[in-house]
Order: sequence, then structure tokens, then C-alpha cells
Amino acid sequence: MKPSKWALAGLGVLALVLFPVATTNPYYIHLLETIMIYAIVLFGLDIVVGYTGQVSLGHAGLFGIGAYTAGVLVTKLGVPLLVALIAAIGVTALFGALLALPALRVTGPYLAMVTLAFGTIIQILINEMSFLTEGPMGIKLSKPPLLGHKLDEQEFFWLVVFVLIASLVFVHRVLRSHLGRAFEALRGSPVASDCMGVSVYRYKVYAFVISAGLAGLAGSLYAYSEQYISPNTYNFELTVLFLLAIIMGGRKTRTGALLGAAIIVMLPKLLDDIELFRIVAVTFAVLIAVGSGIQVARGKTTVVKTSIPVVGGIALAALSFVLTTMTDWRLSVFGVITLFVVYFLQDGIVGFVRTTFNIEGHASAEAEETRALTVGGAALQHPSGGTTPELLVASNVLMQFGGLKALNNVDLRVKRGSIHGLIGPNGSGKSTMMNVLTGIYVPTAGSIVFEDKSVVGRTPSDIALSGIARTFQNVQLFGEMTALQNVLVGLHHTFVSNLVDVALHTPRYKRDRDQSAARAHALLSIVGLSDLAGEEARNLPYGKQRLLEIARALALNPQLLLLDEPAAGLTAPDIKELVTIIQKIRAEGITIILIEHHMDVVMAICDTVTVLDFGQKIAEGTPAAVKSDPKVIEAYLGGDAASLSPA
Amino acid sequence: MQIFTQLLFSGIALGMIYAVIAFGYQLTFATSDTLNFGQGDALMLGALVGLTLVNLGVNYWLMIPLVCLFGAAQGAFVERIGVRPAIKIKSEFGWIMSTIALGIIFKNVAENVWGRDDLKFPSPLPESPMHFLGANVLPMEILVVVGAVLMMLAVEIFNRKSIYGKAVVATFNDRDAAKLMGINTGLVITFSYALSSTTAAFAGVLIAPLTLTGATMGAVLGLKAFAVAIIGGLTSGMGIIVGGIILGVAETTTGFYLSTGYKDVPGLVLLLIVLAVKPAGLFGKSAIKKV
Repeated sequence: MKPSKWALAGLGVLALVLFPVATTNPYYIHLLETIMIYAIVLFGLDIVVGYTGQVSLGHAGLFGIGAYTAGVLVTKLGVPLLVALIAAIGVTALFGALLALPALRVTGPYLAMVTLAFGTIIQILINEMSFLTEGPMGIKLSKPPLLGHKLDEQEFFWLVVFVLIASLVFVHRVLRSHLGRAFEALRGSPVASDCMGVSVYRYKVYAFVISAGLAGLAGSLYAYSEQYISPNTYNFELTVLFLLAIIMGGRKTRTGALLGAAIIVMLPKLLDDIELFRIVAVTFAVLIAVGSGIQVARGKTTVVKTSIPVVGGIALAALSFVLTTMTDWRLSVFGVITLFVVYFLQDGIVGFVRTTFNIEGHASAEAEETRALTVGGAALQHPSGGTTPELLVASNVLMQFGGLKALNNVDLRVKRGSIHGLIGPNGSGKSTMMNVLTGIYVPTAGSIVFEDKSVVGRTPSDIALSGIARTFQNVQLFGEMTALQNVLVGLHHTFVSNLVDVALHTPRYKRDRDQSAARAHALLSIVGLSDLAGEEARNLPYGKQRLLEIARALALNPQLLLLDEPAAGLTAPDIKELVTIIQKIRAEGITIILIEHHMDVVMAICDTVTVLDFGQKIAEGTPAAVKSDPKVIEAYLGGDAASLSPA
Repeated sequence: MQIFTQLLFSGIALGMIYAVIAFGYQLTFATSDTLNFGQGDALMLGALVGLTLVNLGVNYWLMIPLVCLFGAAQGAFVERIGVRPAIKIKSEFGWIMSTIALGIIFKNVAENVWGRDDLKFPSPLPESPMHFLGANVLPMEILVVVGAVLMMLAVEIFNRKSIYGKAVVATFNDRDAAKLMGINTGLVITFSYALSSTTAAFAGVLIAPLTLTGATMGAVLGLKAFAVAIIGGLTSGMGIIVGGIILGVAETTTGFYLSTGYKDVPGLVLLLIVLAVKPAGLFGKSAIKKV
């Protein structure tokens, strides 16, 4: 971080610490305390919503579990504060893992409904299990003692400040580490994550567990802070408020979470005070108008696009002067704000400010900062491994989709260190073969042996880690991540540090981090993308995206690299560059399977070529032999052409 | 045994309501791969509008088509405001959040218009139970089952026989291809939302005489109907009827043998289990993912 940022953060902390000294009004102290507690939940929720891109409607339930764990332990067993906090984290994290189980199989709307069902069940259980939770009566608590001294309102506030900062640092470090990148990769492309050895399965559970742990921590603090907990607090409305806070503040930023927490705590208070609401609504309308004006002036958006939010803002301000009380319409206001944010403020307030003032995100800065690091070893690592002449042996592979045999008893033997071409007309089963080899499809029958070990039935991430890397026919990059970060996801397997290392920034983690960054830069320079390290992958031109996929695949230190139509859509000079890169890779001893439609490329660099047609192998041999095979010519040009051509 | 038969009958009636709402989920999912998270609120609005009409002196049977019209308008509104912009920007998060937001707004508006208390909906049929196989059956329960089946049959026949229905089916099969064939897929999606909310509103006036009517009646019904849609599979018509009956009976028996407080739990747990084990549902087909 820059010194100016440190100074700003220090000032913020100081202001927070001094706040209860400056005002002795318990109402304001409690209000700010609630904001901080909500912020801790939101840090966690952002991991799931912002980074892995899933909608969770269960976080109010998790928050409730935390509160009730603390409440029950304190009233029934009289446990001390620290035990209660840690137990709350543990129990809630456990529920998070439980919630992740069904969540693993489903995404999107299904997941939203699953988490909603989970939240509803939790609320029912809290209500009904009176022997434990006192049911609708709720539980009364008092402020806890710490180290033999009973905390008062002010001291408890400081405790919350401390926990908030600790959580902030923890979450920030986790999300900037390889774990955070893994979470983000899940959202960008689950298939690619798996094929980069980052198990979608495992990291979704991690994300849910960490997220739930934070919700539990916040819940337990909330129980002490409110001194009274009852089941109705942890309802659907709260869960939607949490989501609103995240998207309104801004996904993937901690500032956004803090801002969002402040908004959802203050807004109800604001709606109670119609005078104040009018002032805020007018200010809001003016801010939107000015902000939109700046964006239009800088050419980032058009007048038509901004007109709706501007008119909406003014309409809200006008409405506030018509109504005499807002309290009853609180939920409608929240609903309207949600609609507004979803469509017009997708990147939240923080994102809006960033775009308006051209503030660069951390990711591209990171790319520049790490550029000077030097690599310990070579960027491309010579694969170590067996000595058998054949690296991969697939025999009698059958892949059946219903009645269609996409692959019909295909044999494929790939020699170590060779470039093996795989060609055939469209729909001949080439890409299916790739998917079978990388574990995305499990073949109906047949065996695939890679390095003397069977591949069949293993997970894609496991296969990837054992040394098979791939690119995709339709590019599967992590779009919102920079080129450098994309390659770093491929280097995920080189990290040996665990969650504690990441949280404490131990020397082990720092070593991992610097080495991987240096390797990533080196890999980018191999494919000629050094200058674009800090650019978001989705902004790269198509040809560069294909090269970036190769660099990312190489980061896995593969023995076998599968390239699925790498030259598709490339210009002639780009193709020449691609051929050089492929030859460089082969020179390092990496075996390559190449699917390609550009025959000149295939003929120039392949050692062996296998031809598929309608899921069957029709020819195999040297490029020259295959080229003159009448069956191949027939497959490509039709029967007549075969008889006309003298081959 | 007699008690169990009793529970079975009320379970079936309840299950058919779930099936109708779940049918509404299927309709929109078929055309646009989206769901209305405020489906329960569409039901609630239907019931409350129906109640107002009945209180104004409109006959129950005459009120039903009016409520269906209202439901259609409400569904079209949801699609235009909440779903269409999200489909345009291909944001899944967008339509989930906006249909939730619209649901919250509808609920809040209902609270302000009809009040926060549950209201009694006058029954159009005699409220004295009939005896059947040793158990008591309310005439209204029979109406629910018959009405639900008729509603689903009507929509199915429409989809299979009419040219407009074919457009719906075509959009379901391949939205882009349907568009290229000159079908206004946007309109089809709007229509499916209108139809979906119509079935929900219809379900609302069917069930209202059996339960109490109020702003909060929709949320849990919507969630449990989703459970039914998942258990039965989002593409299977038979599945939701079976799923609905399973859930309805599970609920009435739990309510009786355990505690009414727990009656919502089995359905939700069933939902979690089915999604964990067979996400495509008991009757659904799982899709092959393409890379």
C-alpha cells in the first residue's frame, strides 16, 4: 500500500477508537457498533457473492447461529467471552460446510433457493427448540467480562473495533492470496479452474466455511452488543439487506462492505426521520446527476443510459416531499433501491467512484509492482517423469451420449516429447477426446493410461495436477482477472502455504507469493504478453487471449499439453508466432496434443497425426502419409473428390 | 388409520396447491431459464385482490377470471421491470435480485393496503365436511384438487395444440433458433411470466378459503413450491404433481405427529437432500454440459 493509504487507514482507526470518548451518547455508540458488526458479516458474504459469484440467501441464518451459539453457551454454561467467540466461529463454520454440501452440486437460482431454505430452517429451529434457545422468548445477555474485568459500553465498543480490524486484515490477506484468486477463478470459469488444478468443489467449501465463520463471529458480537436475541431478527429481510449492502457498497472491495454496512444500518433510521430523508434524497439526486454528468463528459457512458438513474433519483427526492411518513414503506424503499442498484450501479458505489475518477484497481498495480522480481529457476520446467516411450495410451475409448457415439473405440498412443496432431472434420469427436482425457467427461468404456496411471474416473483437477494441462476451443479465461492473475491461478499448485500462513503473512507465504509472481511474469514473456500483464483478460484481443490460455496452461508444469484449436481466429503473423511458441514448448520436453484446422500448421510441426471422422479413427501416421490417405481426403472433401484426386 | 386417511386427504389438497405454484416456476423456466422469486407474493396478491372483489359483492366464481387477469398483468409487469433487463445484460444475479426486490415491494404494498393481520376468506362452498373412507373431506379441498388439475391441463393443451403454444415450446427448445424463425421470443417470455403469475393468483384464490389470507402468506408457500419444482424436476409435469403430494402429505403428518411449528421443515430438508443427491430432480433429465 502507498504511504498515503496507510495514513488514511490510520486516521480512520484513530477516529473509530476515539469515537466513544468524543460522544458519550450510548445510542450513537451502539449504532456505530452495529455498523461494524454488520461489516464483519459483509466481509464474509463478499467472499461468496463478490468473489465466487454465488447468491447466498442464508447469511442471516448463519448470523443467527453465531448469535445463538454465544447466547446459549453464555446462559447455559456461563462460558467466558473468548470461548464464546471462538465457539461461535467454529459452530457457524461447521454449518457453513453443511450448507456447502448441496450448494456444491448447484449454482445460480438453485443455490439461492437452497440457501433460502437453509435460512428458513434455521429460523424455524431457533423458534421451536425452546429447551435450548428459549424459543420466541429470546435470550437476555449482559456485557461480558474480559480477563476478570467486566466490559462497559465503551470498552466493548473497542473490542468490536479490534475484531473488525482483525477481520478486515484477515479477509483482505486471504482474498489477495492464491486462495482469493481461486475463489475468483471459480466465478470466471469453473471448467477452467478445475483444469488448472483448482478444485471447484474444494474451494467452494472453503469459501462457504470462511464466510460462515465470519458471520458466526459477527453474530456472537451482535448478541453481546444487543444484550437480547430473538428468532425474528434473523429473517429473510435481513438476508436481503446484507445482499443489498454488498452490491450497493461495491463487490470485491472492503471499503464497499464498510460503506454498505453503514447504509443498511443508517437507512431505516433515516426513513424514520422524514425531514432528514428529504435532505438526503435531494443530496443523492444531485450526486447522481453530477456523477453521471462527469461520466458522460468523459465519454464513458451515454446520455440515454444515465437518464433513467438521474430521473429516478429526482423522482425519489420528489416523492419524499409528498409522503408524510416513510416508516411503513421502508421495505418498498429497500426494494426500489435494490432494483436501482442491480441495473444502474452494478459495481456499487465504490465501483462508480472508481470509474468516475479513473482510479486504478489493485490488480493492475500488482502486475507492475511484481515486474522486477526475478525467477529462481527456468520459467518452463522440464518435465521430470517416467521413461516409458509412450506418455499416454488410450485404448478402445467409447463416449456415448444417449444414442450418439461421439467416440467409437478410439485408440490413441502419444509418444513422449512429440507433437501429436488430432484432426478431423467438424463433429468428428476431437474436442470430446480432449474432454475425456482431462476428466470433464467420463468415458462410457475403454481405458486411458497416463504415466502408468489410469485417468478414468478421476476428477479434472486431480488429472490436471498429475500433469495434463489444456486450452479450450472457446476461450475460457477468468475474464475479470488480469493476465498475470490468470497465469497465477495456473501456478496455484506451487503454493505450499496454508490459511494461517496467508493470514499472518509468514515468510513461507511471502516466498511462495514472490516466486509465483516472478514465474508468472516469465511465462507471460514466453508468449509475448509481458506488456499486458496488468490488463483484464476480457479486454485482451482474441489472439492474445488464446496465447494467455497457453501461458496459463504452462504454469501447471504439465508433461502433456492439450491445445484445442489454438490458431482458430488468428491472423497470419499471429499464427507464425504461435508456431514458434509451440516449438519452444516442445524443445523443453513437453509433449503436445494439437487439435487444429489449419493444415499448414499441422503439417509443419506435428510428428504424428491421428484423423477422426464420426467418432472413429480413420488414419494415423506421419503428416505426409496422412495427407495422401484416400480415406482422409474423402472425409474432408467427400467421396467424389477422393476419386478425382490422384493423391 | 382414520386419522392418517384424514391427513392424507388434506395433504393431497395442499400438495396440489404446491404443484400449481411449481407449475408456474416451470413455465418461466422453460422459456427463459429464469424464475420469479416473488412467485409466492404473486399468489398472495391474487388472494387479497380476490378477497377485495368478494367483499365488494362479486360472486366467487365470477371473481376467479378477474383475479386471473390481474395475475397476468402482474406477471407481465414483473417480467418487464425485473427480468427483461437482466436477460439483456445476461446477469443471473440481476434477475434473482430484482425478482426478490419486486416480491418485497409487493409484500410491503400489500401490508400497507390490506393491513398486517390475517383475514378470513369466505368459503364459496359449504364448510361442513363430507365423509369419505371414514375421513372428513371439505368440499373446498375437492375444489382445490379439481381446480389445480384443470388449470395445469388447460395450459398443457394450450401449449400442445395452439400455434401460440408451439411458439412457447419452440422458445423452450432453442431460444435463438426460435427468434430466427420469426418468433418474438421477448413476447413469449413476457407471456410465460403472465401465465405463471396467473396460475399463482389462481392458486391463491383456491387456497385462501382453506387458510387465512394475509401479506405474509406467500413467502413460505413460494419456497415450498420451489422445493416441489426441484423434487419433481423443473421440466417434468408429472413430477410436480407427485412431488407436491409427497410434500403436502409429509407436511400434514409432521404437523400432526410432531408439532405444527415443524411442519415446514420436511419439505425444505427434502429440497436440500434432493439438490445434494440428484439436482435434476426425481423426474428431470440432467443436461450434458458442453465445453
